[in-house]
Amino acid sequence: METSFDPDLIHAIFKLVWSSSAERDEETEAVDVEVGAGASKKSRPTTANHSALSVSCELLRLFITEAIERTAIIAEAEGTNKIEPTHLERILPQLLLDF
Amino acid sequence: MESGDDEGDGDHFDVLKGKDSEAEERAELLKDRFRLSVISIATSEAKKVNMEVAEPVVACIADLAFKYTEQLARDVELFAHHGGRKSVKMEDVILSAHRNEHLASLLRTYSQELKGKQLQNESKKKRSSKKDDKEIRD
Repeated sequence: METSFDPDLIHAIFKLVWSSSAERDEETEAVDVEVGAGASKKSRPTTANHSALSVSCELLRLFITEAIERTAIIAEAEGTNKIEPTHLERILPQLLLDF
Repeated sequence: MESGDDEGDGDHFDVLKGKDSEAEERAELLKDRFRLSVISIATSEAKKVNMEVAEPVVACIADLAFKYTEQLARDVELFAHHGGRKSVKMEDVILSAHRNEHLASLLRTYSQELKGKQLQNESKKKRSSKKDDKEIRD
């Protein structure tokens, strides 16, 4: 079995982001609208089903493995077998465009 | 990785900050757990290609991956809401990778495998035939 992320960990991070963005939404809405139109948004927060989390884990795993594989290619071309920060610098722009 | 950003000015703020710092602590904890996962994935991947990885490289990748996760969370939430749902589905995650066709197809095959496995588990609960062949079939 390949090492990957724990879906629960990713779920926890997602929840953290969602709860903080929900708070921000509420703050802006409180300024914009006086009547409770935004109440429905907070009462039912976003959730994720299990398979969605598994796919997210796979996506993030691919991000890591791509980063390592691409840096490995550069390191190999330079004739070393240790991946250095300069190798990462070389591949970073394309990596970020690809994800 | 900023540590201690503008904190600890005066006692009278402690009551207000109690909640925030607690949340911050939890976020830090999650970040650390995430970092550990990244380290294990990166080192095992490097071993596969017979490479050694310098520590700052892994730390940098971990930081990037965490930011990517946060962005992903916002994206899939937006997609789910656009679809009139409160729950994020697999399709939302795949949609977030739609710019990269290859990546999207990889995720699609992965999700199909996942679906297949779930069906298998429902029909036959005991059959530990682990399919590790995650190659792309196209």
